[in-house]
This record gives sequence, C-alpha cells and structure tokens, in this order.
Amino acid sequence: MNEWLNDFPIFWSKIVATLTFAGGVLWTWIRPKSFIFKDAPDEKKWRDLRIWITVIMISQIVIYLYF
Amino acid sequence: MHGIDLFIVVAYLLAIPAFGFYFKRFVKDDADYFLAGRMLPWWVISMSIIGTQVGATDYVGAAGGAYRFGIAQAHYEWIGALPAMMISALLFIPYYWKAGVYTVPEFLGKRYNLAVRIIQAVLWSSWLIFFLGVLFWTSGLMLNEYLGIPVWVALLITATIVGIYTITGGLAAVAMTDVIQTLIMFIGGISLSILGLWVVGGWGAMVDKIIPTNPEHLKLFLPMDHPTYPWMGVLLGLAFVMSPAWWCCNQAMIQRTLGARSEWDAKAGMVFAMFPKMLIPVVTVLPGLIALALNPQFTGPDMDKAYPWLIKNLLPTGLAGLVFASFMAALISSVDSILNSAATLLTKDIYQRLIVKNAPNTHYLKVGRIMTLVFIVLAIILAPLTKLFPGIFVAGATMLSIFQGPTFGITLIGIYWKRATQWGGLFGLLGGVCLSSYLFFVIHWKFLYIAWWSFLASIIINVIVSYLTRPDPNEKLYGLVYGLVMKDDEMQDILTKRAEGAE
Repeated sequence: MNEWLNDFPIFWSKIVATLTFAGGVLWTWIRPKSFIFKDAPDEKKWRDLRIWITVIMISQIVIYLYF
Repeated sequence: MHGIDLFIVVAYLLAIPAFGFYFKRFVKDDADYFLAGRMLPWWVISMSIIGTQVGATDYVGAAGGAYRFGIAQAHYEWIGALPAMMISALLFIPYYWKAGVYTVPEFLGKRYNLAVRIIQAVLWSSWLIFFLGVLFWTSGLMLNEYLGIPVWVALLITATIVGIYTITGGLAAVAMTDVIQTLIMFIGGISLSILGLWVVGGWGAMVDKIIPTNPEHLKLFLPMDHPTYPWMGVLLGLAFVMSPAWWCCNQAMIQRTLGARSEWDAKAGMVFAMFPKMLIPVVTVLPGLIALALNPQFTGPDMDKAYPWLIKNLLPTGLAGLVFASFMAALISSVDSILNSAATLLTKDIYQRLIVKNAPNTHYLKVGRIMTLVFIVLAIILAPLTKLFPGIFVAGATMLSIFQGPTFGITLIGIYWKRATQWGGLFGLLGGVCLSSYLFFVIHWKFLYIAWWSFLASIIINVIVSYLTRPDPNEKLYGLVYGLVMKDDEMQDILTKRAEGAE
C-alpha cells in the first residue's frame, strides 16, 4: 500500500496542502453564524472566529506555496 | 553567567511561584482546582495552550532538526498543527465543553463505556508521567550547565518552583503563570533569532550560505524516499492523524478549554492560539538554520547542539539571562500543565470512578493535591533514569505514536456517528492499538504511516463491530453526538446534575 502512495509526484504535496488550508477556510464560513458566536458577549467583528481562521490559513497558503 | 544574567534568571525563578501561589485563594473545591472554576477567558486559554505545548526540549530538538533537515521541521507547527487546532476548536471542544466533563477519557467513557475510559486514562497518564521525567531531567541539566549547580539540587529547585503553585493553585495558577511564561518565551526566543539574523547578514545572506551545500533545506516538502519526512507521510500521518489526535484528544491541551467561562471562550482560546503557534518556527526552526549558516561543522547527534551553540556564541551580557529565562519558561510552563493534567486524569477517571465514589468535592480537591505531589516525587525519581535507561523513555515516546491514531479514530466516530456502539469504540481502540504495535515492533514501519493506518483500522473495526452490536439508546447519547443537540435549559440541567455527581 505504501509503495502505491510512493508513486505520487511531489508537486501533489503543495496541491494537497493548499486544498487543506483553503478547505479549512471554506468549511468555517459554512458554519452557522449562531454556532460561531454561541455564548459570545456580543457579535462584534473581532469576535468572529471565521475571520481569525481565514487570516491564519491564507498566511499558511502563502508560506506553503513559497517554500 | 554574568551578574546581570544571573539576576534576571533568579528574579524569574522567584517571581513565577510567587505569582502562581496568589491563585490559591480562589481554590475551594475540585472544580476550582482542576478546571479553574470554569472561569478562564479566551486569551488566558490560548497563551496557556502555547506555553504547555512548547517545551525546552522543543527548542533544542527543533533547532537540531532544522539544522539537519531544514525548514521541513516547521511542519510540526504549521500543517501539522494549525488545521488540527481549527478542527479541535470547532468540531471537538464544543462537545467536550457542553458535556461538562473534566477529562477527555471521561467524555469517551460517557460516549462508549467504562473500559474505554479507563484504558484511555491509563494510556495518557502513563505517557504524561514518562514525559514529565524527561522534562525534569532536562531542567536539571540546564540549570547544571548554565548555573553550575549539581543536577539533584537543580531537580529539587524545579520541583519546588512548580510544586508551590501547581499543588496549591491548580489549573488557574498553571494557566495564569503560563501567560507570563509564554510572553517571556517569545521575547527571549525572538531576540535570539533577530540577533542571529543580524550576525549572519540577514535572510538573503543566510540562504546564500545554506543552499550551495544543502539544496533541500528551504523546501517544505521532501521526496518520498526521505528517511524522516517523506511528504506523503507528513500529510497522511502528521497532518491528518497525529496532529488532530494531539490537539483534539490530549488532556494536557484540552483541559484549559474545559475550564473556559463560556463555549465561545473555549473555542476562541484554541483558535487564537493558532497565531502564536504560527510564529513558533521563528524561535525554534530559524535558530537551527542560522546556526547552520554560521557553523556548518556539526555532524550526527552533535547537530542537536545548534541551539546551545548559538546561546553560547552569540548572546551578549543581559540577553543571555533573558534567553535562559525563556528556556526555563518554556520548560516550566510544560511541566506545570502536565502535572495538573496527569493529576486530573488519575483523580477523576481512576480514583473517583473506581475507588471512592460520591465523596464531598473537597475530598477530591485534597486527593488532586496529593496526586500532584506524588507525580512531582515520581518525576524526580524517573528523571535520572532518563540517562541510565534511555530505552524506557523511547518506549514512552513510541507509546504515544501507537495509541494516537486509534484514539483519534474512536473520538471522531464517537462524536459524528450516532450508530457507533460502546463495543465498536472499545474494539476499535484495542484493534487499532494492536495493529500499530504490530506495524511498529514487527514490520518496523515509519511512525507517520503507522498513525495513518491504525487510525483507518480503528474506524473500520468500530463501524463493523457497531453494525454487529445493539445500538446505544438515544438517552445515553444525548448531548454527546452530532445531531442530538440539547437546548440551553436542558444542557444546564444536565451540567448541574453532573456537577453534583447525580447523573
């Protein structure tokens, strides 16, 4: 089984990594807003966890495409 | 060490226990002790998570790894952590927090059965004790190396510093001191990296010095025949299994979110921790690359001397004390959290569940404090064995890779598949651990692949056995699995009953 995995060319690594980070961003934005803000004292922009995650994941996409 | 450096280190070593001891006054019962009275705000949780996760051994090991393999070492902080932290925050922590549990094994016990809970508690607490011994020994060596005091005296100093506030103040003291220690850790670590880059002539000059002799050192993904980081193993084993298992199922990581003052704080604590986590390679991996550019002479095991070499050869008076204090901060912030988590596992999952049930809360508070003291003594005893019997601790590290995949498999299925039964969970866990043991001890596979296949095996076994056994009733699963969500008042009622031990 591992030999079969070995046949994948290395450029797939960057594609999979980028899809992982981008998929993470998309997935958080389809979470209901009520779930993201559950128990939060208010719904100010800075409390939106989806924005935090988006900033981090986009930074990661840049890093993984660069290196 | 110069006078000013010594002053900084001694001031740090005195200030931390004094600050932590202050929180003793807030501890009235076991919930205060183990979960900080469920009052932790998101920013304390996030700093404590980072303080717990990054240890002094990471500094030396990651810098050595970067010296040896290059920037691929940063996978552990990036793709091998950030997506998993996001999953933990939004998929797992809400369920743990709503269930009102003290430990992850307690959650698995509610979802599956007592056997799963006990096996998980024993596996995690055994591993935490092993790791504690290693951390204590590291602290002894560091204090011996830099301050010149005997190792056994250094061990007692570490035990006293950590013991004073961990035994008395519990999770609140641990989390609050972690905030200070994480700040010190970053200030010292980033100072060293900036100074190192300045000495080497900047990023461009560093790259020019490294690339001619080490062309792969600035590539994140390495070929499939790489002995340690083949790219497929990094993605399948590290990013998709080991990292989620660590961030979603490790009591030491999860415990501070269970002490959150609200569900939002629990989630935000983990999400915000992703920011400092993303910067960790600046203080661990970058120094390894700087050391390689400045001194490419180290070979074999000596490559792990990259970080100590930088400290010894680069730092001016004053900064050496600060960096050493940051080194100690990284170490102590991991030791205190592991002590607290190990004591929680044994008190709540073993003692309260199997030995003395339904005692007053103050009784479990007393037992928790005694357990913490026992673990400190055990760690002091185990610490020197790290040197005498390294095989014991290699076994401890191996044990983690063996049960991480199956643990993540049964937790994931347990939360997101209602049909999974108690026997599916138990046999999924046991089957996965048996397979990974076989792959490790008999076939000698790389641990990244072992994690992936044992994770898959635990899921497949769980599904098969679940279909062959009787489904668990909805009443048992209420609030524990996806799709059986409670309304707020129902949840509050369950939390109150669980807190009173009346479930």
